[in-house]
Amino acid sequence: MDERRRRFEAQALPHLDAAYNLARWLSRSPADAEDIVQEAMLRAWRAFDGFRGGDMKPWLLSIVRNCWRTAGADVRRRGQVALSEAGDALPSGEPSPEATAQGASEGRRLGALIARLPDEFREVLILREMEDMSYREIAKVTGTPIGTVMSRLARARALLKEKWERT
Amino acid sequence: MSCPELLRTQAYLDGELDGTAAIEAARHIETCAACQTSSASAARLGDALGRADLRHRAPPALRERLIAAIDAESPAHRASFVQRSFWAGAMSGAAATAAAAGLAFTLSLPPSTWSLAQSIADDHIAALLSGHPIQIASSNHHIVKPWFAGRAEVSPPTPDFPQQGFTLAGGRVDRVAGARAAVVVYRHGGHVIDLFVWPDKGSILPRNTTRHGYHSIFWKSGDLDFAAVSDTESSELEKFVALVRSAGE
Repeated sequence: MDERRRRFEAQALPHLDAAYNLARWLSRSPADAEDIVQEAMLRAWRAFDGFRGGDMKPWLLSIVRNCWRTAGADVRRRGQVALSEAGDALPSGEPSPEATAQGASEGRRLGALIARLPDEFREVLILREMEDMSYREIAKVTGTPIGTVMSRLARARALLKEKWERT
Repeated sequence: MSCPELLRTQAYLDGELDGTAAIEAARHIETCAACQTSSASAARLGDALGRADLRHRAPPALRERLIAAIDAESPAHRASFVQRSFWAGAMSGAAATAAAAGLAFTLSLPPSTWSLAQSIADDHIAALLSGHPIQIASSNHHIVKPWFAGRAEVSPPTPDFPQQGFTLAGGRVDRVAGARAAVVVYRHGGHVIDLFVWPDKGSILPRNTTRHGYHSIFWKSGDLDFAAVSDTESSELEKFVALVRSAGE
């Protein structure tokens, strides 16, 4: 395997779960998420020579986000609406050891509420709470100033909290 | 309910502030009811998100498809495809295991428990820097224990272990996880050990951590949550925790 390919796999593939998680929450669809991630990874591979060190994860996730926006624009042009049931937003795979029966139903409810948050709030919440990214990294992914990240994150949490405590 | 400092409070709880900025934010939270309410509910929400485990994992087939798609874009390497794909498969298994291990670690450290670890260490450091780590100075547990009544939300155990070199020095009250926590202060050689005690509200405790040379050990006992913080040797802190735990049983 050549050096460029080896470096790409070593640096990009560890973030595959992060890429898929973001694509899945943004698109709210498992099939769309796979297409978005595949497209994003190929774009990243083609642009890899232009990637000069730095943090791979924010760079990769910003490509995922751009692919999702492009895909969304295509869907809108065709006059379709990409809406799925809130149930689709459930995580696949095994629940964590801590997830008790009660925890699982709480999780389902939280997932459904997050899936209904407006895009600009949903993305910062996912990046912060699930990907554990810093404000600076989130700003890189979303292409917004840090101040915007902070206010959107506060708004996202307030919206989610309000709905969570009401239901 | 909103406070103009809310974004700074949020940044503090997210672990985005350091040094004096962190200490200033912590002081502000102590005096601001709106920020206390919002940080307590942010912690509840963060814990719930951590418990819910909502992160999606990439399906294994996606990884395979990706490798194939990249292969398709590298025609020069098709000749070695069979041999390499065996190794790529073996590698991706190893990478998946490593990713899963990394994931398990991040999942057991949801942001809110991480900020709890940070806020407790910051409280300890801020108290030392202020020169007033103790609000009630006494080595007599009959004085220290009742002092907390009406000040902290819990009545903490205040055992004294002079023979083992951990002497009761006094107490103070700090905010932890939105509660007025009792902090029992001990001296050990030239070091100060803070024992934080607050009501257990079912939240997940952080892992034991070391930040900037300060060790923190967390545990639950009965309906209380505990944290011991100090810059003493971590083995010494573990010894202290074992003594406190055995005294409580």
